[in-house]
Order: sequence, then C-alpha cells, then structure tokens
Amino acid sequence: MLEVRSLAKRYGDVLALTDLTVSVGEGSCLVLLGRNGAGKTTALRCMAGVLAPSAGTVSVDGIDAASEPDAVRARVGLMPELPGLYERMSARSYLDYFGALYEMEAGMRKRRIDELLDLFELTDAGERWLGTFSKGMRQKVALIRATLHRPRLVLADEPTSALDPDSARRAWGYLKDLQARGCALVICTHNMDEAEHLGASEDGGAAIGIMSAGRALAIGDMSSLRVRSGLSVRHEVRELPTLQDIYLAIVGNHHDELAESRSA
Amino acid sequence: MSLLSLDRHKAGLVAARDLRDAISELRLIVAMVGLAVAIPVAAAIGVRGLALYGGGTAVVNRLSVVGAFFVVFIPASFSLVLALESFVGERERTTLEVLISTPLKEAEIYAGKVAAVLAISLTLCYGGLAVYCLAVFPGLGYFPLDVLIALALSTICQVAAMVAGAVIISLNARTMRAANVMASFIILPMSVALQSEAALILLGRTEFLWVFAGLMLALAAILLRMGLNGFSREALLARDSGLRRPLQRAANAFRASFQHRPGILRLLWLRRTALLVAALGLPAGAAAGYVAGITGAIPGAVARPALSTLIGAAGDGSQLDQLLAIVSQNLLAVLLIAPLALVTVGVSGFLLTFLPGFLLGFVAAQSSWGVALAGILPNGLVEIPVAIIAGGLAIHIGASVIHMEASGGWTARVLAAGADYARALRWLVPALILAAVLEVRFG
Repeated sequence: MLEVRSLAKRYGDVLALTDLTVSVGEGSCLVLLGRNGAGKTTALRCMAGVLAPSAGTVSVDGIDAASEPDAVRARVGLMPELPGLYERMSARSYLDYFGALYEMEAGMRKRRIDELLDLFELTDAGERWLGTFSKGMRQKVALIRATLHRPRLVLADEPTSALDPDSARRAWGYLKDLQARGCALVICTHNMDEAEHLGASEDGGAAIGIMSAGRALAIGDMSSLRVRSGLSVRHEVRELPTLQDIYLAIVGNHHDELAESRSA
Repeated sequence: MSLLSLDRHKAGLVAARDLRDAISELRLIVAMVGLAVAIPVAAAIGVRGLALYGGGTAVVNRLSVVGAFFVVFIPASFSLVLALESFVGERERTTLEVLISTPLKEAEIYAGKVAAVLAISLTLCYGGLAVYCLAVFPGLGYFPLDVLIALALSTICQVAAMVAGAVIISLNARTMRAANVMASFIILPMSVALQSEAALILLGRTEFLWVFAGLMLALAAILLRMGLNGFSREALLARDSGLRRPLQRAANAFRASFQHRPGILRLLWLRRTALLVAALGLPAGAAAGYVAGITGAIPGAVARPALSTLIGAAGDGSQLDQLLAIVSQNLLAVLLIAPLALVTVGVSGFLLTFLPGFLLGFVAAQSSWGVALAGILPNGLVEIPVAIIAGGLAIHIGASVIHMEASGGWTARVLAAGADYARALRWLVPALILAAVLEVRFG
C-alpha cells in the first residue's frame, strides 16, 4: 500500500528527514515515535503527497507521489496535529464540504457523516458551529474528516492527544476497525499507550518506527525492537520491557553515540 | 500550474465556502454594506446640493465623476482585508493545511479564494456605484458613460491587484499581524495609483483614464500570475522551517548571490533578451519624440527650458569641472535605475534608453536628424551601449521581481540579478568616464 524508499526532505539548508525507508501493507499499521523535530510530520506530509520529496520515492497504491500527487492525496486521509477546522461552519456542513472535495456522492456523504457522527457521539452537536466545540470534539471531527472518504491510507499526527481516555479508546477502536477493513495506517504519536495499542500487536501487521533528528533509528515489531534496544527483560523483575523502556533505550543510545562522535 | 487545467466545480466549492464564511459574520457585513450605501448616498447629496444651490455646470459635472470614484474606492479597499483573511488568516488558523491535503490543485484553491473575494468586493463597489448613479445623474443632464466604464474597469483591476498582492504576502507572512504590516507594500503603491486616477478624473480627459485602466489591467495580470505561480503547497508548508537566525541567513544569501556569477560577456549573452528590449527603447523613444515634436504634443514653452537645462547641465567651468559634472549625472542615473527597477518592475531600465531616444527624436523634429545626432557624438558611441547594458540588466532585475516559482527562491533570484548589476558596474563606470572625456574633448 505505502512504499517509501530512501525518502529525504530538505527545507532550504535544514535537512528535516533523511534516508527513510518503510513499507506498510494493506491492513497494516506503522506507528512513528520520536521527539519534537524528529521528522515525523514531514514524513507524513511527504507520504500524503502534500510535500514533494527532496530525494527518494513515495508511492501509495503503486502511484508515485512525486509525479501524481493529486491522485495520491485522493487515496489518503491526512489528519494533521492541529485539527484546522472552520470555526463558523457546523460540523455537518464542514464534513459535507470535505466530502464534496473528495468527490463523494451526496447521498453517500450524508450516510457516512451520520454514521461517523453517531460513532463519535457527535450527532446532537452536528448542527453547532465548530467554534463552540471543545478540543476533544474538534479532534474527533478532524478524525472523521480524514477518514470520511474511506481512504486506502490514513496518516494521523497525534490523533488522540486531546481526547479523554474513553474517547481515545473509541478512536483506537475505530482505527483498528479501519485497519481490519484493509486500510493502512501510519500514526505519529508521543503517547506510548497509543503506540503500544496500535503498533505493538504481536500478530503481525504492525510495526513501530523510532525517529530522531530526521532519521529512523529503528523500525520493526516489538520483538525486534527489544533485541535492537538490548532490553530483552525489563530490569530486575522478570517481565518484558515496555515500549517506553525500549524507546528511551534506543533514543538514549543514539544520543550517547552522537555525543561520543562529536567529542571524538 | 495553469488556470486552464482547473476543475471549475471544485474551485466553485472553495469559492462558495469562502463566500458563506465571509457573510456569516454579521457585524462585518453590516459595516461593509453600510459603508457601501452610506458613502454613495452622502456623495450624491453633496453633488445634488451643489447643483441645486448654484454650482457651475462644469464644476458639478466634474465633481459628479469624482464622487463616483470615492464611491468605488472604499469597497475596493475591503478586498485587501478580505484577501488577507482568506489566505493568511486560514494559514494562521491551520485550516489551509487541511485544505491543501485534499486532492484539490493549487490553482483550484487559488481561483476559488480569489473569486470569492472579488465577488464580495465588486458587488459592494458596483452596488454602491449603482446607488450613486441613480441618486446623482437623473435630472442632472449629464451622464459620462465612458468615464464610468473606464472607472469600473480600473476598479476590477485594482481589486484584483490587491487580492493578488495579498496572496503574495500570504506566502511570506505566517500571522495576520505580520501580514497587516506587509500590506503597506500594497496600500502605499495603490494609494499613489488612486491619487493619480483621481487627478486624471479631475483633468477630465477620458483617454487618459482608459490608458490608466489599461495599466491597471497589466498590473493586475502580473500580480495575479505571480500569486498563482507562488501559491504552492511547498511554499506554504516548507517556509515554516529553517527560519532561525534571520540576519545571518540574510547575510549568507547576500554573499551567495555574488558567488559563481557569470563573467561580463557571458552575462551579456545570458541577458540578451532584456538587452534587446533596452536597445529597442532607443529607436522607440526617438520615434515617439519625433512624433511628439512634429505634432506639437509637447508645447514648446515646456520643452525648450527643459532642453536648455539638459544642454547646460555640464556647466561652463573648466574641462575637469565639466567632466565631473557629466560623470556624476550619468553615474547617478545608472546607480538609480537598479533600485528603481525593483519598484517599477524594470520600467526604469527601459526608460534609461527610451528617454534619451525621446529627446533625440524631439530635437530632430525641432531641427534635423543631423543636428540631433551631432549633439550625441562621439560620446554617444560609448554612452549608448552603456545605457543598453545597464537598462537591460535593470529590466532583468524587474523581471526577477515579478517572477515567482512554486519552489520558491524569489529572494535568491532578485539578489543574484542585483549582484550581476553591481558586478557590471566595474565595466560600466570606466566606460562612463571615457564617454565624459570624449564629450568634453570632442563633443
């Protein structure tokens, strides 16, 4: 579904992303972890056909993002970190507008909007202006907008950062449901619970990428990351290390290596 | 990116949403409609009052047209605010990022947004103008249809120019505050243009108004094209990054513009089109000057003192004094046209050859071509190539100013054009000194 080969993105003299190679199949999920400025958002924008790669290739459904970005964007649902909603539009008319931009037929738009507003418990607020919505409600609307047109690939930047735990679980469930229907997911997050929930499934089809300073330090499933981190067992107690342990070990090692190379 | 390849339905969706958004703010609409109606009514009362209480026919007729100008001026100025809100406001609220992640082409977003702003502004302009015309002209016995049509056309162009200018600002401003400051770069030239238009209306020469409308049309077309070329996803998203240490970045960019530039001969070959345009300025100016001279378009009372001043500009002191006077005058002209090219989009470069050509032709019409040419030889053999080179390079600076690309690089291109000009001065200044020596010794 998503093939990324040696992707690099440069903004002027700033190298935001370099040498990223990942592959996400149908019904698979890739979770990208990394501190601010690690290059996750830039990677998502390149994968969505919004930014052109400075080097390397991105293809979605076999379509090259550099040569046919419009076709790629039509197959992708991008949920940026900030919801970016029009304050003086009702939730329903807002979603209807984006459905029309994705060339959804009017009847289909209405059915889908009703279904998703109901799923996220926003039916009663459907006619209210988005400016009156809480932060969590806005994030739900943004998630609905990104997935309204049943994209083949969903790219979400911190999709549940403003949601309460219950709503977050509902959102994860929805994303898992999309995945089960064959949709590929790429999720950027700082939330380890979210990362474990969406990207740490041991039954295959899920992977976690750990990024720092524009590079992917490690990409793989939980077991391969455990090996990569050198933490096969968590501390003294005989239990497996959590994703947070793995993340900190890998990022910590990377920063130690950077410090050593600089001092050398 | 082309406007021809856009899906009009999708551009229409963007325009309809923006229109709905603009009219959903009741206070804004009340203020805009109030001004658009109140101003024509007040202006109409003034003109009718003047007509009723003894204003002369000529004065009333002239003021009735000036009133029409004021009526369209205020709503036209709303377009800048609306356009900044539509582009920079959306960028600041991050809604533009969502819009550009859809399958819409940049041209569709651009066209939709521009259409929405134009629709609101022009509705207010023409609505106000209609109210004014209905209130003023019936019973006045005077209806200057040609002037009003020229005014209506130039209003469309002014609104389009302000909208396009706002788009260009939106590519360089990430907040409304920055955009409002940068809007001065649009407001100041537009206010000069509007004052010129008001003066032309007062002159009462319709043909001048049509020329003005034509110039505004050209300006609007240039700015709209610049906005379309510059409005890109890359430009909107990529410039959010790498903005640290702006002074050092500016210094680096300035230094870089002087590096790896072509030598003078290669540069002349690369800029051959601009040089050709500058070279054509001389015969075009000569032809225009000759026509102006034989038709008496410029009264002799105006032309003769100006020519006398020019001829006597070198003074009658020692040869060294004359030399210094000639060099300083020519050097000043060559140094000024480069910065002027930035704001006149290269017209100053064309004028560097056109105006001397015009004077030559004018003098030829007053006397003969032999006398006119004798006045510029032998120094002209050096000065004319210098003017063509300097003019051509200045035209290239102007072309760089109005050339935008989706991939950015505007600043680097303008700096490189300026650097080429500065480097060419190493050859042009000695040539000007040589020309002055020739003029003093043999002229």
